[in-house]
Amino acid sequence: MSRSPDRAVGRSLGRVALVVAPLAGIVGFLSLWELAVVAFDIKAFALPRPSRIVSDMASNPGFFARNGWATAREAGIGLAVGALAGAVIAVPMAHLRVVDRAVAPVATLVQVTPIIGYAPAIVLWLGPGLGPIVVITALVCFVPFLFGAASGLRSVDPDTLELLRSVDARWWEVLWRLRVPHAVPYLFAAARTAIGLSLIGAALGEWFALVDEGLGWAIKQGINFNAAPQVWGATFTMGALGLAGLGLVGLAERVSGLGRPEPGR
Amino acid sequence: MPGFVEVEQVTKAFDTRRGPVVALAGVDLSIARGEIVSLIGPSGCGKSTLVRLVGGLLAPDHGSLRVDGQDPLVARAAKSFALAPQSPALLGWRSVRDNARLLVRVNRGAEQHPVLDDAAIDDLLREVGLGDFLDARPRQLSGGMRQRVSLVRAFALGAPVLLMDEPFAALDEITRAEMRYLLLRLWSHHRSTIVFVTHSIPEAVMLSDRVVVMAPRPGRIVAVETIGLDRPRHEAQEDSVAFLGHVATIRRALHEAMVP
Repeated sequence: MSRSPDRAVGRSLGRVALVVAPLAGIVGFLSLWELAVVAFDIKAFALPRPSRIVSDMASNPGFFARNGWATAREAGIGLAVGALAGAVIAVPMAHLRVVDRAVAPVATLVQVTPIIGYAPAIVLWLGPGLGPIVVITALVCFVPFLFGAASGLRSVDPDTLELLRSVDARWWEVLWRLRVPHAVPYLFAAARTAIGLSLIGAALGEWFALVDEGLGWAIKQGINFNAAPQVWGATFTMGALGLAGLGLVGLAERVSGLGRPEPGR
Repeated sequence: MPGFVEVEQVTKAFDTRRGPVVALAGVDLSIARGEIVSLIGPSGCGKSTLVRLVGGLLAPDHGSLRVDGQDPLVARAAKSFALAPQSPALLGWRSVRDNARLLVRVNRGAEQHPVLDDAAIDDLLREVGLGDFLDARPRQLSGGMRQRVSLVRAFALGAPVLLMDEPFAALDEITRAEMRYLLLRLWSHHRSTIVFVTHSIPEAVMLSDRVVVMAPRPGRIVAVETIGLDRPRHEAQEDSVAFLGHVATIRRALHEAMVP
């Protein structure tokens, strides 16, 4: 009994450590970077100090906010299209082995072919602008959602499936009441993977799609003008967007209560 | 006069890598309306297969089955069966209340018998001691409480036939004993016909009007013991000479069934 206050303090410290540890990791990494640049006298045009990058961002916040918003919008739309397409195509895949056998190799081919290979072709086909950026982003995000949703839809408890069959449940009732909730945790896992992919897709799309906004465009412009702080500022902004996206996924998981499989057996 | 559930000369085989395995061979069984019949026997004797054939979840290779004069597929389409599987098979993301209503909500309107309304289902949950857990999720319940939800879900449908495939097998002995008396209490209100699969001889004797003893390779019925205990059944009967006599008779039949 006398040890319980100690345990409570230990638990509180543990919780604090869980929050502080990631921040300490990031601060430690940036500090090492800062020290290395100073210690090895690396020129700013090659690798600027993090403090220089941050001060550059702070001196022109509108630039990074505007271009960050453009990339976030492209990534968001592309991710949503990829997720929807993946989830919809996963339904016949999960039900019919022949569809699974036909679709899986094509999806795998899309996954293993570097996007940089076919991104220019998509721009040539669709012309410059938002359209090809969304298509490129959707393509890179589509595969994790497809395989994740198909696995989730198939992962139902056989006893529960038989229970619904015993009252002659219609296929769409089984889908809606049983398979879709089982697939949701898999979709959240796919979303965590797709957040980073969507930003890569959107930034790469901006390189080829002849647009004049977005973080990909800002990086390209920074390289052209030898402005390393701008390149790194855009990269930092993309990292922040990725973290924000992961935070939104985590929040959605928590609010929905469907983040982890919970069969209730 | 034909029984409510009629099984005539039913044979069922399954294809395996080693060739066909005969799960049931020439099984005959007649169950009266409102009767509780337990199927008992060693693993692989076709108890669960027989339950699934009655429920229209499997089709026989030979022979015929009728439920209230209908083909099991027709009866299944009319939601005439309430299944209680070994695992409670609850939806983890749904509340206790929603889980108990599941079989009523699915394929709504197909049933040709009265079902319990939402208020009556809530009352039934309260009756089985889950009144404080109506909005709880299954993860917040013990194993016994989950099985109680499964029982309520089955009775809520008001189906004329309950198919129970070892529903209490995963519970500890004390909870299991509680569950069998709870089942009897619920049955006394609803009087459904129950086909109950179990490995426990005392459980089979205490619940049933008749206990069907099955043997494996191929699955077949080797004995049927009619239980003469008065209803309502109660715990004190478990020490009676009649109860112990039924247990001994069924145990002997099971031993004989195991001899090749």
